[in-house]
Amino acid sequence: MEKAAIHTNKEEAEKAQERIRKARDVLFGPLNTSIAPSPYEVVYEEDRVKLKRYTPVTEIQFKTPLLVVYALINRETMLDLQPGRSVVQTLLKAGIDLYMVDWGYPRFKDKFLTIDDHVNGYMDHMIDFIRKRHDVPQINLMGICMGGSFCVMYSALHPEKIKNLVTTVSPTNFDTDQGLLHVWFRDIDVDRVVDTFGNIPGDLMNYIFLLLNPARLVIDKYVGFIENMDNRPFVENFIRMEKWIFDSPDVPGETFRQFVKDCYQKNLLIQSKMELGGRRVDLKKITMPLLNFYGQFDHLVPPEACNLISKKVGSQDKEDVCLDTGHIGIYVSSKSQEEFAPKIIRWLKERDAPIKTGRAPRKHRAETGTDQSS
Amino acid sequence: MKEEQKGPEGSEALLSAWMKMANDFWGSMIKTWPGFSTSDGGSPAAEKEDKAQVKMKEAIDSVPSLPETVSKISRFAFEAYSNLQKQWLDYMGRIGKSTEGSKAEDVNQGPLKAWMQIYEKEFRPFFAMPQLGLTRFYQERMAQAMDQFNLYQAAMGDFYNLLYRPMEKSNRVLQEELASLAEEGKAPENFQEYYRFWLKTLEGHYMTLFKSSEFIQTLAETMKATENFMEARQAVLQDLLKFLPVPTNKDMEDLYQELYVLKKKVKELEMKLADGPTKKEKPAKDKLLNHGESGHSYK
Repeated sequence: MEKAAIHTNKEEAEKAQERIRKARDVLFGPLNTSIAPSPYEVVYEEDRVKLKRYTPVTEIQFKTPLLVVYALINRETMLDLQPGRSVVQTLLKAGIDLYMVDWGYPRFKDKFLTIDDHVNGYMDHMIDFIRKRHDVPQINLMGICMGGSFCVMYSALHPEKIKNLVTTVSPTNFDTDQGLLHVWFRDIDVDRVVDTFGNIPGDLMNYIFLLLNPARLVIDKYVGFIENMDNRPFVENFIRMEKWIFDSPDVPGETFRQFVKDCYQKNLLIQSKMELGGRRVDLKKITMPLLNFYGQFDHLVPPEACNLISKKVGSQDKEDVCLDTGHIGIYVSSKSQEEFAPKIIRWLKERDAPIKTGRAPRKHRAETGTDQSS
Repeated sequence: MKEEQKGPEGSEALLSAWMKMANDFWGSMIKTWPGFSTSDGGSPAAEKEDKAQVKMKEAIDSVPSLPETVSKISRFAFEAYSNLQKQWLDYMGRIGKSTEGSKAEDVNQGPLKAWMQIYEKEFRPFFAMPQLGLTRFYQERMAQAMDQFNLYQAAMGDFYNLLYRPMEKSNRVLQEELASLAEEGKAPENFQEYYRFWLKTLEGHYMTLFKSSEFIQTLAETMKATENFMEARQAVLQDLLKFLPVPTNKDMEDLYQELYVLKKKVKELEMKLADGPTKKEKPAKDKLLNHGESGHSYK
């Protein structure tokens, strides 16, 4: 028995040695860890904010262009993280004319920017730009997480400019204890936080997100990495995710203040009591078709935070889709690649009636004085 | 008057008693050293050391006969020290009590809380003392920053201690579970099973902790301590930067706020200008396409 145990130990030691050798080759060798590989051009800029138009990979099949609005937390590169798991690529292959907002990296001077500045300022200007560029009165709008909350606010204030609205893991109802953020943010003195920090540091946001589940996010994740260090594709995908997850811009202070106060603490949005720039965000004014995605195992934005919106809008054509996934998995998991983006494509196609003035985007002289369109 | 009469006598007696005690202690220590023992049979070296001891003792015993001023100062210092020592011993006793028969979560909390009590009572008043002189405001802000730093450190210690608690609990649970499995003869055979069990337990404990009112309160207090410290530190940095030819954070903040308001006004005016003439020239159906042409890139 002792001999068998010694033999087993010896085998395991040899396997471990081999694995370490392979891991060394992988880590010291060339690794393809670039993210957001899909080519695009910046067609509009305003302050730190850029509007990206992705280069079509096939003939455009949709008359109505789609604008994707990401959250102010983390970066929109998550939608184009790696080959085979890129929402951007899936949408482009379907022939969608795709635009995406790049919120950039807020600096000290941006601390005074409010939600109104983002929604009725930057978003409104970009949507007008796209409408003018394509000579269409309306565009399709899709929001991710907090970006989806912004899209809901925008669609309620400017319904005449939006043809179809897609929200994905977007918090609209904050009266729930299912998510830890909802529990923690309810009692914080957000005025003090913003007055002290100015912009909320990206590092602080990272720390809070890690704290949501330290067992998995701080320990188990890296144990898994060590176990698979000799697997090059795994290491490359892992590092891509690491690059994205810790790429956290600061959040403009006044935006953070209002979002926590009016949403997390007073839950005004779902009650149609929120105000932006003196105008009330009335959810009943959202009358365009609505497709609302959320994740069953989303610990950041739980289902209870997402699934009430469809009952509050004025739209007749509305659909909730609950996927068996978490907050990030809805975009990057292999299972969701077959459920998420294809569903959006089918849904938009069914509602993309021909527009009389629809034609290829004409050349537009950008306000910077240089022609940025192809 | 009575206190003055009473004080010196009491403290002098205490001082003398302390001196005698120290002298006796060191005397006995020296006696236990073979080379210096007076019962050694009177070797020349021993005799020399005995003489040195005697002289030292005489010097110590003559302390009460030092000049009155020195005596008063040393008395005052000794009184303060002995008061402090009494209180520290008292606190230490309390710390010791707080760790008796305690649960895992109390073991680390006790010393922290006891230390904070000591700090609040003994050290914090020093930082809150009113400052004097031309630079009093700068001194006050510096003292405030140091005080807030200490409070911040304590709050962070408290917070990290709380975060560590689930680890301790999970380790204990793992030990208990392994013991019971071993008794039943069902102990896991590979490390992976141990790890998975421990991780699941840890995750559960963290979820329970994070929803508890204790954690939320500690989080709020930690944030408050952090904010207070940052504010106090900022005030000190502002003072330092005032002497240098560089703008401070406050200066830049005021400037950016003015810029923000100005930019907003300019954008509004631009939109009004863009809407004004076009409304008259173009028909209503094209109004949507012409709205918002003011998407400028302000660089």
